Amino acid sequence: MEEKLINFIKGEYLSDEDVEITSDTKLISSGLIDSFSLVSLQTYIEKEFNKRIPAPRITAESFDTVKQMVEIIHQF
Amino acid sequence: MKLGYIFISTFIFSSLVYWLIPKQRIRNVFLALVSLVFVFLLDKTAFAIVLFLTLYTFGFSFVVSNSQRKSFYHKISVSGIVLTILIFKYAGVLDKYFTDVIRYFSFTNSHNFESLLLPLGLSYITFKYISYLTDLYWGLNKRADFFDLLLYGSLFTIFLSGPIERYERIEKQMNVERIDFSSVFIFESFERITYGLFKKFVLADWIGYLIGFVWKNPDEYSFIYHSLALFGFSLQLYFDFSGYSDIAIGTSRLFGLKIMENFNYPYLKQNISQFWRSWHISLSDWIRDYLFFPLSKISANKVWMFVFVPLIAMGICGMWHGSEIKFLYWGLYHGAGISVYQLWALFKKKRKKLKRFTETKLFNSLAVLITFIFVTIGWLFFQ
Repeated sequence: MEEKLINFIKGEYLSDEDVEITSDTKLISSGLIDSFSLVSLQTYIEKEFNKRIPAPRITAESFDTVKQMVEIIHQF
Repeated sequence: MKLGYIFISTFIFSSLVYWLIPKQRIRNVFLALVSLVFVFLLDKTAFAIVLFLTLYTFGFSFVVSNSQRKSFYHKISVSGIVLTILIFKYAGVLDKYFTDVIRYFSFTNSHNFESLLLPLGLSYITFKYISYLTDLYWGLNKRADFFDLLLYGSLFTIFLSGPIERYERIEKQMNVERIDFSSVFIFESFERITYGLFKKFVLADWIGYLIGFVWKNPDEYSFIYHSLALFGFSLQLYFDFSGYSDIAIGTSRLFGLKIMENFNYPYLKQNISQFWRSWHISLSDWIRDYLFFPLSKISANKVWMFVFVPLIAMGICGMWHGSEIKFLYWGLYHGAGISVYQLWALFKKKRKKLKRFTETKLFNSLAVLITFIFVTIGWLFFQ
């Protein structure tokens, strides 16, 4: 799950292919991802993992790293 | 001044009695009732609406959380709240047209739509209850009992100017065994209220006084003075509103409550999207969660997502601020700003050289300046 999310994030949000992100990289709070643009991530998770994550959970506090994303996905 | 006296006397009385009550549960009920009395003293219509909306939301919370047709009841319950806010926001505006029609037919001269003008705090409580019901529907909340819901909706420290807290955050703080009194509450509360009072009564009011001459006699002043006055107005609005938020956060702290931050140096942000994550944060979070995301999911069409969604979401955000058409224009102006920014972000993503340039200090400083100017020009709609 982590690998799939990392690949999606790299392709969808990051322009430089050589940007390295890990499961602990801060994505929203660091400005790498704009929180207004996270709709596509929500849609991807819904399609790929069949989990609907409500928008209030997709924030810089609870959805900042891939590790946190996986935790939240498991909660739903 | 009446409002100030009611607020201060309610604050002093309730903060003293609150800590004398041994059980947290009774403290919460006490604070809910005090808040209701506060609303009653301010505005009888607001009192009636707060009671009605709380009973309405409480009633619907059972079916939204338990029914087989959750989605249906969620839509109905939210529609009712939206209808309430629409009636009270626009009845006063429509008054003029109704009056003309009534006069034409000469049925009667007596009408009183103006008395339906939006009562104090109603915009805030409606957004709070919509978020409560929606989070309940999404499974993020537990169902609240009546007094917890009443306290959430009417807590007097945040009733008039926000922040628009979420039930989930307040509930975690309310439903604890007991909050033990700590001197830290006094220090933190005093510090925050002092900041707020300084921002509001020293900075905002003095700036308002200084620029007032230009607004009163615009023909006597040149473009430079008009620009300086607008720059001052931008600062005045920030200090005024963030000052109120500081007071709300500070007064809540004396009851042991931690209310969310509502501002984070909004005028130092590099783009309009960042600005909205730092200005009236509780409102922009609300717009994002309950408008931006659901609207974006209607269609994957890029024009819909990048143009229409920001315009609709921010248009509603503007209308929330007031019933006059200028607020809608202001919202659309910001929606257009977010739209352009998103297209720009998409454009630069594919251009490595451009992206590298946008990461330089020079560009970032310029971006802060441009964002500030854009936001400041937008405040003209408020003037």
